[in-house]
Amino acid sequence: MGTAAADGGRVVGKVTVTEADGKPAIGAEVVVYVVGYPEPPSTTVTTMTQKDRRFQPELVAITRDETVTFPNKDVFFHNVFSQSTTRPFDLGSFKRDEAKDKQFPSLGVVDVYCNIHPEMAATILVVPNQRHTRAAADGKFTIDGVRPGTWTVFAYTRRATRPASAKVTVVAGADVTAELALVRGAEPAHPNKYGEKYREPSKPYH
Amino acid sequence: MPAVRRAMVLAGVMAVVVPGTARAGRSDFAWLFGSEVLPERGVELQQWVWEEDGKDGPLHTRETSLWWAPTIGITDQLELSLPIEMGWHVDSASAPSFTLQAYGLDARYRFVSQDPVDKPAFAPLVRVAVKRDVTQRDGVIGQADLVGTYDVSDAVQLAADVGFAMEVHSGSRASEYELHPGVGMSVKAVGDLRFGAEAYAELSLQDSTASWAVVGPNLAVTHGRFWLSAAFGIGVYHISYAPRVVWGVLF
Repeated sequence: MGTAAADGGRVVGKVTVTEADGKPAIGAEVVVYVVGYPEPPSTTVTTMTQKDRRFQPELVAITRDETVTFPNKDVFFHNVFSQSTTRPFDLGSFKRDEAKDKQFPSLGVVDVYCNIHPEMAATILVVPNQRHTRAAADGKFTIDGVRPGTWTVFAYTRRATRPASAKVTVVAGADVTAELALVRGAEPAHPNKYGEKYREPSKPYH
Repeated sequence: MPAVRRAMVLAGVMAVVVPGTARAGRSDFAWLFGSEVLPERGVELQQWVWEEDGKDGPLHTRETSLWWAPTIGITDQLELSLPIEMGWHVDSASAPSFTLQAYGLDARYRFVSQDPVDKPAFAPLVRVAVKRDVTQRDGVIGQADLVGTYDVSDAVQLAADVGFAMEVHSGSRASEYELHPGVGMSVKAVGDLRFGAEAYAELSLQDSTASWAVVGPNLAVTHGRFWLSAAFGIGVYHISYAPRVVWGVLF
């Protein structure tokens, strides 16, 4: 998450998310981030929990070289993996209350899945600086400590057909507003870690 | 995430796309051990089939061996196999025979991370196997290999394997000791298909006439959860040829 930085400005605003049919998207997780300059990573370790056969949260933004931990809070095994070229990994199968970590040294998009449960999907955005945040349930967001200058602010939600973006000119000690709109599509099918179709939907008892 | 959408998000975070790190399989070699192991709690069925043809001079011994094992990832760097071995033996002085030869434990420990991003170019691995030789009243086989693979690039891998094997008997029969050195190279050709060459020898420390050596081409291929490596060893010392096929299926 973004943290306050001296001599910076703030980007504030709101993101609206709609489904492809134009209806408001309920419960969409949205991250908003400013790009254009790098910053060192924080020491924060982001958590992406596996609970109730879902990743929670399903979308996070982290700064390059930061670490994400993946605790399993289900009573059954999960096998978290990514085939992303940005950051491929395979955590193997691990049981309840175990957690495994991965560091993300390259910028880009990392789609994360479970090799056992095809319905589990999440995305990690690895961004160049700490100027990123999650939008609140009502879509409002605030990014503190943005370096003065003209930058692009992006908003993204999983299943969005494209990220939304806007140019902002940040002045030290002042707020600049951005209004962004996203359209969400259907969850695309993905292969398992062997590049194959999943054999069948996972059962509730798995 | 469809490619177009991914590209647009990538643009948003100024992504640097690194080359893929897909590998042809658990091992790129057939006679040599590779340095890859199963992830923790991974399960694989492995099979090795090999022939040693034209050994022992005038006896023209021909041996076909089958090694079959479930393999389990104990940790992300340690795997354990529970093999059974069978063999078919033919020579000009005795009737053909087929028998269960051995069963036991086969452990392989990789010293460095296997993570596609964190792994170093050089990956050492040690293998230790202990087996009961059921063809002998009191035979126990011990095997150890020190393996090193070096990724010259995403496409080229070199490997060296120094193996030691012994069969120990508690009775009057003399124990036997062998060195199993090997080197190889594997080059990515297209997709998940690789070609290369490897040289391998089994050198008896008691009887040089029992030693043999081969060199020949190899290939390795991966398809989904299946991988296969094969080599055709052409005899250069005390053997005619020694083909070997190794495959595994992940579960």
